[in-house]
Amino acid sequence: MTDRLESEGDWRFHARTVTKAFGDLLANDGITLQIRPGEVYGLLGPNGAGKTTLVKQIIGLLKPTSGELTLGPYDLIEDPDAARQLCSYLPQAQMPIDSFRARDVIRLTGMIRGGESGAVTARTNEMIEALDIGEWAETLGIKLSGGVKRLVGFAMVSVWPGRVVILDEPTNDVDPRRRRLLWEQVRRLGDLGSAVLLVTHNVLEAEKSVDRLAIINEGRLIAEGTSSSLKAEDRGRLRLQLMMVPGHPTPELPDFVQHNTRVGNNVMNVISETDATVGIGWAQELMARGVAEEYALGATTLEDVYIRLTGHTSSNGNATL
Amino acid sequence: MTSMATASIAVHPVRSGPAHWLQSYVHMTRWELGSLRLLLPLIVALQMVIGGGFALGIGLFFDEIPVRNALFLATGVAVVTLITVGIVMGPQLVSNHKVAGTYDFLWSLPVPRTTQAAAWLTVNTIIAIPGMVAALVIADWRYDLTLQVSPAIVPAVLLTIGTATLIGYAFAHAIPKPMITNMITQLLIFVILGFSPINFPPENLPGWLAAVNEWLPFQHMAAVIRAALTEGLVDNVGRSYVVLVVYTAISALVAAWVIGRRD
Repeated sequence: MTDRLESEGDWRFHARTVTKAFGDLLANDGITLQIRPGEVYGLLGPNGAGKTTLVKQIIGLLKPTSGELTLGPYDLIEDPDAARQLCSYLPQAQMPIDSFRARDVIRLTGMIRGGESGAVTARTNEMIEALDIGEWAETLGIKLSGGVKRLVGFAMVSVWPGRVVILDEPTNDVDPRRRRLLWEQVRRLGDLGSAVLLVTHNVLEAEKSVDRLAIINEGRLIAEGTSSSLKAEDRGRLRLQLMMVPGHPTPELPDFVQHNTRVGNNVMNVISETDATVGIGWAQELMARGVAEEYALGATTLEDVYIRLTGHTSSNGNATL
Repeated sequence: MTSMATASIAVHPVRSGPAHWLQSYVHMTRWELGSLRLLLPLIVALQMVIGGGFALGIGLFFDEIPVRNALFLATGVAVVTLITVGIVMGPQLVSNHKVAGTYDFLWSLPVPRTTQAAAWLTVNTIIAIPGMVAALVIADWRYDLTLQVSPAIVPAVLLTIGTATLIGYAFAHAIPKPMITNMITQLLIFVILGFSPINFPPENLPGWLAAVNEWLPFQHMAAVIRAALTEGLVDNVGRSYVVLVVYTAISALVAAWVIGRRD
């Protein structure tokens, strides 16, 4: 399928030096990236980094101050009608589906997206089954929980996907089991030939799901590559996490701690592999003194790269001990 | 089945032309009706209560109401119910989307934006007409009137709803802050009810205000509807039609510009 799509022409998505200014504020500052059909591309960054601004320009809700956005032969800035047909978009906010039954609204969105009636019905059933939301298929949106609403929203934009599918925090409020089902369907969108742009600040989840990713901060794209290539610089380093006694201040850090971040009572320290033994000794001493309750030593993750580059923790920053 | 269903996904061409427009309009009308499904019976009932109630209530201003004045009031009330749907209720529904954060999704749907405006206009018409009919039926009964309904009622109602809805649609989309939109709707209803010659003749207004109203659409909406429902109450309805056609065209152009622009 992917091969067939590529053989029909070059349908890569390109952003070239996209800049968006709101007055003096540069929400996007010269962003350049490309996504191939079939690829799942993560766009990571803290709140206010400019992720949603970029997405809104792709879908034609905002116009760039300068730069280019193209998809195959189409100029998405010049032709917002084409942009809306070629890209499907799941915004971060909830979908306006209170008055619709889940199955009806998935199917209607598929029809709006240009699918043939029979094929859309078949694909609607397929999505409902794949996401395991059959028990709510005939339920009105107003009666659905936030997580199920999110899954219905995902089904709405995926039932007849565009060549680019933009998903802004698709797993918000979704239970862990259905999260896995949702990620399978994200991969399936890639198999169908769509380029998937996944916007998130959940670094750990993104790491498992994307082919490539970019980190964006203060409007600039500050790193791009595969998860492994971004972690290469942290090779030879370990993460030593300390769970402090609630309310206890961060202890004085020994020289071997290269980098340190605190979220709540969770202190994350990056140390060299060669300092593992002294690191454990330090952590045990803190526990013995009643300063820390727990510690964990592990490989550095994309989260550490993200923290190093942005100075922020992601939404999962304190959930990994 | 799966491979059949998914074989053409993501390879569909970019659509355009009249067939695409019409199909999108049908889908968006289904969307708008569907999204109001829970509220629609309530909104229609409310419009009928407002229309009927207003027709009854306005009679309380008078001990004895002459037939001519009663006809004026009855037809005026019908016009007010049409205007309020387009200029008050419509913008408030748009504001609700902005507050709920659902506006971006609707605006990202792959249909010509004009089909969304046309679907909106259709739904507004469906909502507005029962209120107008209720107002007329109740006024007819209460004041013992004889309305002379002519075929001109169709263009008169469509022009009135069209202009009101498109004006409301344009400012609701143009103004980013929903609170400002809601304040403007409050102000408009105050101006329309109090200072536009809909329920009373223009002669009752100070000269300058009557002159201003000559160039606003509201008294002309009343004139075309009144002319289509009564005989001998309205002169020179031709000018009112011209004014309304111009207003509808301008509102449609402004609405098209507003929904087509990007910040």
